[in-house]
Amino acid sequence: MDNLVQLTDVTKRYDHDGTPALHHVSLAVAPGEALAVMGPSGSGKSTLLNLIAGLDRPTGGEVSVGGDRVDQLSETGLARFRRRRVGMIFQFFNLLDDMTVLDNILLPAQLAGLAAARARTRAGELLEALRIAKHADAYPARLSGGERQRVAIARALVNRPALLLADEPTGALDTATGEEIGELLLDLNHSGQTLIVVTHNPDLAARYARRVIRLVDGQVASDAAVAVRP
Amino acid sequence: MRATPPPALQLPPALRAARGGLSGRRVQTAVIAAVVLAATAACTLALGLLVDSNAPFDHAFAAQRGAHVTATVTPSAQLAAARPSGVTAQAGPFAETTDSVTIVIAGRPGDGPQGVFQTQLTLVGRGSPGGPVDDLTITAGRWASAPGEVVLDRNRRGPAPLLGSRLTVHGAPGSPRLTVVGLASSATGTADAWVLPAELAKLRTPHAPPTAQLLYRFARAGTTAEVNADIARLRAALPPGGLLGAQSYLTAKLRATGSIAPWVPFIVAFGLIGLVMSVLIVANVVSGAVAAGTRRIGVLKSVGFSPGQVVAAYLIQVTAPALAGCVLGAVAGNLLSVPLLGQTAQVYGVGTLAVPFWVDLAVPLAILALTAAAALPPAIHAARLSAVQAIATGRAPRPSGGYAAHRLLARARLTRRLPRPVTLGLASPFARPGRTLVTLAAIGFGVLAVTFAAGLTTSLNRVAADLSRSTAVPVQIEVPGDPSAGSGPAAGAKAGPGAAPGGGSLPSPAAQQRAVLAALHAQPGTRRYVAEADDAISVPGLSGRLSLTAFGGDSRWTGYALVSGRWYAAGSDQVVVNTPFLTATGTAVGDSYTLTSGGRRRTVRIAGQVFDPSGGTPEVIGGLTALASLDPQLAVTQYDVTLAPGTDTALYTAALNRALGPDYQANAMSDSSPELLAVIGLVGALMLLLAAVASLGVLNTVVLQIRERVHDLGVFKAVGMTPRQTMAMVICSVAGTGLAAGLIAIPAVIALHHTVLPVMGHAAQTAIPAAVLHAYQPWEIVLLALAGLLIAVAGALAPASWAARTRTASALRAE
Repeated sequence: MDNLVQLTDVTKRYDHDGTPALHHVSLAVAPGEALAVMGPSGSGKSTLLNLIAGLDRPTGGEVSVGGDRVDQLSETGLARFRRRRVGMIFQFFNLLDDMTVLDNILLPAQLAGLAAARARTRAGELLEALRIAKHADAYPARLSGGERQRVAIARALVNRPALLLADEPTGALDTATGEEIGELLLDLNHSGQTLIVVTHNPDLAARYARRVIRLVDGQVASDAAVAVRP
Repeated sequence: MRATPPPALQLPPALRAARGGLSGRRVQTAVIAAVVLAATAACTLALGLLVDSNAPFDHAFAAQRGAHVTATVTPSAQLAAARPSGVTAQAGPFAETTDSVTIVIAGRPGDGPQGVFQTQLTLVGRGSPGGPVDDLTITAGRWASAPGEVVLDRNRRGPAPLLGSRLTVHGAPGSPRLTVVGLASSATGTADAWVLPAELAKLRTPHAPPTAQLLYRFARAGTTAEVNADIARLRAALPPGGLLGAQSYLTAKLRATGSIAPWVPFIVAFGLIGLVMSVLIVANVVSGAVAAGTRRIGVLKSVGFSPGQVVAAYLIQVTAPALAGCVLGAVAGNLLSVPLLGQTAQVYGVGTLAVPFWVDLAVPLAILALTAAAALPPAIHAARLSAVQAIATGRAPRPSGGYAAHRLLARARLTRRLPRPVTLGLASPFARPGRTLVTLAAIGFGVLAVTFAAGLTTSLNRVAADLSRSTAVPVQIEVPGDPSAGSGPAAGAKAGPGAAPGGGSLPSPAAQQRAVLAALHAQPGTRRYVAEADDAISVPGLSGRLSLTAFGGDSRWTGYALVSGRWYAAGSDQVVVNTPFLTATGTAVGDSYTLTSGGRRRTVRIAGQVFDPSGGTPEVIGGLTALASLDPQLAVTQYDVTLAPGTDTALYTAALNRALGPDYQANAMSDSSPELLAVIGLVGALMLLLAAVASLGVLNTVVLQIRERVHDLGVFKAVGMTPRQTMAMVICSVAGTGLAAGLIAIPAVIALHHTVLPVMGHAAQTAIPAAVLHAYQPWEIVLLALAGLLIAVAGALAPASWAARTRTASALRAE
């Protein structure tokens, strides 16, 4: 089976002569997989996620997602790639405060030029599925942290991406809310959604991922499968 | 031993903080410098011209204790005793007369034109140049001290003879001869020449009514109304019918400042626009810097900066680039003033005229103070911020508004079909309404400048076309004896015998007429022509001279623009006159007026007012028969010719010149003059300057907007916004504001145009024809309203491109 994500010998430097944030990293993620990326602060977790999402470019090596050479795409190509192939959720949600929940969710679909009716239908499905339909016309600032993260997940999924990337998705949430979000991500993965989660929380990684890699100083220190929960 | 700290650490803390701020915000620093430069340049130019347009006359008038009113009166025993109320000083009566004279110009080789000229002079008998009023300045030679000596006014129109030149007074019995022994200047031009009082009686034309001149200074004579009131009191104080004419010094002042004064109103308008724009933009820059630098302010305060030091740091951050802008702006203003001041300098004969030093000092200082004042409120706001709160905020305060706008634009039936980046951009001005209003005002003033300049250029081109009459009269033929075809004597003087351009003896006027008419009839393309005679005469009651233009046939087609009334009827006593004539004589269209010159009188009826400022010289245009009765020397000097459609003017003119021979000169008329081109160039330069300033204001706004919302920009890009969509969003964020500014500015521009043009006309001593005033066509107004959009897009392009290129990951990391 072809890998959905393939990183080959990827290096990323922020300073010309400084220590690389990622150093000759190679990694493959199969479709439907749930991968947790762990490591201490500054180990390169977020950098890895940014490179897979096409938010940043590697200094060396190749990054492929769904057959697209992400490292070779133009800025416009990268934007189209992000619309179609990946959805991303962040620790601090990154919602747009001056737009309603519905408008936040619709945004990627509108940017992709999806027909208005189809986009609204899809957003409605997600609002229901994520149990935030009653907040459709509310502004993010009025929602709880968990609700905001649900909105962010809905926005990430509106274009039905093959890959969902989550950067510390529970990092800004209390334990109970964090568990809720973790369960939600797990459900998504069970429904076939490929998932890569960056976290420094071993419990989250152990409970909601099937495979965990550890990054240390920009290199893959370990890559191990997690036993499937009963 | 203690090491010496590096130079940067030796600076006071506020200066160090300001330096850090300056280097961290290069765009804002450059914007402040550029807008202050433009405002300083425009204001320096405006004030410099305003001062220089008045200063030389005012200085001369004060130094000479110039006459507020020059009265021409019938001599009588009561004259000397007549002293109307309000008079502070009085001189005269001085006997005066107007004579035809022939001047034989003496000169050294290479000293300019020499030859024989015929002209008219107003001669006044005065024992000395001094006195309580009109204290003449001798500029060359000495005052007349013996019979046969004359002193000429150095500013009079016509040839400028050297000392020792000879005058022959033709009208007087025995044609007495006078020798020029001095040149003098009178601020108000009370005479063309002065002789000893005893000499004047010999110079008077037989049967000419004796007249005298009385010169008055009044306590209140600052305005036309006050001078008119003074004249009314004077009339009442003199014997009935004694006052033949009265000339206000304001007329002379208008004439003296005529070359530059017309341009002052529009330059002042541009200066004010520039000033308001710079204050708006600087205030916007500084408030944006404070908003964007909240965290930095918190850090400065947490490390021990006092509120005063924070204020000082922000003031320095603004005033340092503003100072650079002020200095460069003053230099630019001086350079822009060169073409116009050069013309004024020629008029006054003062060599060079420059922007006064105090203007160069005062304008930059005032603009620097205004800039600092604009910066002070946000700087004080910054100083009052709590350090903890400022640091906790972490970045510029989030926009507090615009939610409803986003919602409306996303869902409204009208806008929901628009691409999402467009509606996102259109909603963003509502996030910061205050800043949007300032930006709107800056763009509005930019549109004002652009549209005003466009209208002004249209009007000036129409003025040029109306004055040159080149459309109606594309070809003029100068006949021999016309001064302008000879060796350079000025208008109003006629070259004497022997001055034929062809070198031989001149043909008689009748022969000249036959030759021209034959050539015109023979030349294909001739559609219509008329003979024109021009002369300038002295008329009691009018300072300076009266210009006469007479036509020897139907002249309705000759292209004079009428301000009011109608063209004169051929063969009648009707004339048309220019505005200076109406002003100087206090008449109106429909009135009758008796012209007196050299003992001849002719009453004419004013049928219309033509647009022909003539540098402030009163002008009468009428039929040749009617005007020749007043001025027997009025002879045909040129033929005005209009051509059949499709005739090539250049080819026609060349063929006509070949047919007429060297004694005649056929000229293709042009409506462009170097002066007008210089002014239109200046209008264009100021327009570009102010449009650039408005664009810089937009650039600043967009940069602030992007800086504040760079994180949101990262989010947009993370969810799939392409660079092109990013550019569209950023440009649309000011496009709506630009469009609105254009729509708001247009009515203001039309009002400004209709206000400034008549003021310019007044300064040029003329009323403005309606066609010149109505410069904007409906389609032009629509296009010009889009100037706001253009300015906004031009200003937003660079930051939009920067936003499009910004790396998504960097934007998401931004605070």
